[in-house]
Amino acid sequence: MNREPAKRLHHLRTSPIWYLFLFPTMLGILLFMAYPIIEVFRLSLFQSNGTMETFKGLANYRYILGNGTFRIALFNTFFITFFQLLVAIPLGFLIALAINSLDRGKNFLKALFFIPYVTPAIAAGTLFLFILHPNGILNTFLAWFGADPVSWLENGMSARVGAVLLSIWRSMGFNVIIFLAYLQTIAQEHYEAAYVDGCGRWQAHIHITFPQMRSAFAFLIIMGWINGMQRFTDVYALGGMTGSPARSLHTIVGFIYERGFGNYEFGVASAASCILFVIILLFTLLNMKLTRGDES
Amino acid sequence: MKEAQNRKPMESASRRKRRIDCIVFVCLLLIGLIFIIPFVWMAVVAFERSANIQPPFPPSLIVKEPSLFNFKIITENGNLWRAYRNSLVIAVFSVALNMLAVMLGGYALAKGRFKGKGLVLVIVMATMMIPFETRMVPMFKMFSKLGLTNNFLPLILPNMIDGFGLLLARNFFVKLPDSLGEAARIDGAGHLRVFLQVYLPLSTPIMATIAILKFMGSWNDFLWPLVILTGEETRTVPIFISAFSYEGGTRMAGSTMCVAFMGIIPVLIVFLLLQKYIIQSIALSGMKGE
Repeated sequence: MNREPAKRLHHLRTSPIWYLFLFPTMLGILLFMAYPIIEVFRLSLFQSNGTMETFKGLANYRYILGNGTFRIALFNTFFITFFQLLVAIPLGFLIALAINSLDRGKNFLKALFFIPYVTPAIAAGTLFLFILHPNGILNTFLAWFGADPVSWLENGMSARVGAVLLSIWRSMGFNVIIFLAYLQTIAQEHYEAAYVDGCGRWQAHIHITFPQMRSAFAFLIIMGWINGMQRFTDVYALGGMTGSPARSLHTIVGFIYERGFGNYEFGVASAASCILFVIILLFTLLNMKLTRGDES
Repeated sequence: MKEAQNRKPMESASRRKRRIDCIVFVCLLLIGLIFIIPFVWMAVVAFERSANIQPPFPPSLIVKEPSLFNFKIITENGNLWRAYRNSLVIAVFSVALNMLAVMLGGYALAKGRFKGKGLVLVIVMATMMIPFETRMVPMFKMFSKLGLTNNFLPLILPNMIDGFGLLLARNFFVKLPDSLGEAARIDGAGHLRVFLQVYLPLSTPIMATIAILKFMGSWNDFLWPLVILTGEETRTVPIFISAFSYEGGTRMAGSTMCVAFMGIIPVLIVFLLLQKYIIQSIALSGMKGE
């Protein structure tokens, strides 16, 4: 009796019109995903300036992997992201934990930390030109503690540290919001049970909070790496297309941009794009493996 | 008597909690101020009349000679209002196109029955692994072959595909009961009408989330507009900021800070107005839309 209408509806729902619903998406995938991916791989095997193309095999890859500038770009990209995540994720967790423990003022504090994240990256980078200026706000602050002024953007290592500071400042709000969102999914009863059993505040965190936050950490670390691999805008604001000083702020995407749109070496830029693609793919697969491990 | 004794430790515990809360709040406030002070300084320099001639170093948080002089410089030397308009046009059309594709597609993947549905879902998820930067070179070649450089279309059209938004929409529709549409189906309504009249009106929360994320992404986007928009008349706000900051840098502190200020202010106002929704949307994006 009950099955009859359900069956009819099942039949009703099968209809070619669904392909029409998916038409914009499929068109988008075809034009802006499938075609560019095939083309970027094809181009990476050619020498090309946009009009003339000559087949070069794997020469572009050999060139890039042996190229000092690309290696520096690779190093910078990993360096900045590594130290950004090393500081911003644990600090974001502590801030989120502190905010979460409050009864009032949560939304105000959330907003306070979140504002740098919503500002356009190029504006934030421009602002940091001033913060990292030899007489800027950072050196003034450090001088309170008796530190000597640093010419942040004049030598390689301090420029990278400056970029790390910028990325920590910008990403902190995101980390805090994500941690808070995960913290709120932990049922309050767990804590109450723990307190009844005589657990202290910190013990409760160690036994309840940390294990439950594993997926938040995994998400932020992997997303942080994936986003970090695409770093361009903020370091462009600090160091321009070549990532001055001395290429210390040149990133993988900066390399693609300079070779592709500064020098019109589309083959080289495409090969670098493919390498970036592989790096990001590895992180994504790692992400899938980790999150799947969580579910089981 | 007994009652009073019982209440006492409770009260002191809650008072203790309140005191700890107070200390924690003040500490967080101090750290938060470090995050906000750069903006305050930016505003100070932007309103300082002589900031272009006298470098604003060492930093001061007081405006000595408040004036709109720097705003005059940047609006006279570049068309800031046109940059706002360009950014707005691109963002609005990007959101509209994105919404059309994502809501229709998400609905089909949630409620539809058709051959290849699973495959489409897998493809959509696969697209999320492929960042824009890796496709940029062929996309540029494609659009320049079509004569569309220095045009807004290359910035708008790719928003047709948005795997993340599509999954957000799909997960939302999956949670809405099938029975809602079935009643209308029995009355003879077509799939499109069921979608438009039954499900779409119920999905404003997820539409707001998707629109917020997309609008912010489009408004702040920098690299792709930098590649595509070569002329001065098509500059978006981020490109406008970059051009000024490149030319003036910290030497022309007043106008550079002013342009950064003007770039941040609209985002800040929108954020303060929609704070709750924006923070919710971002949190949702971190929970993978579940």
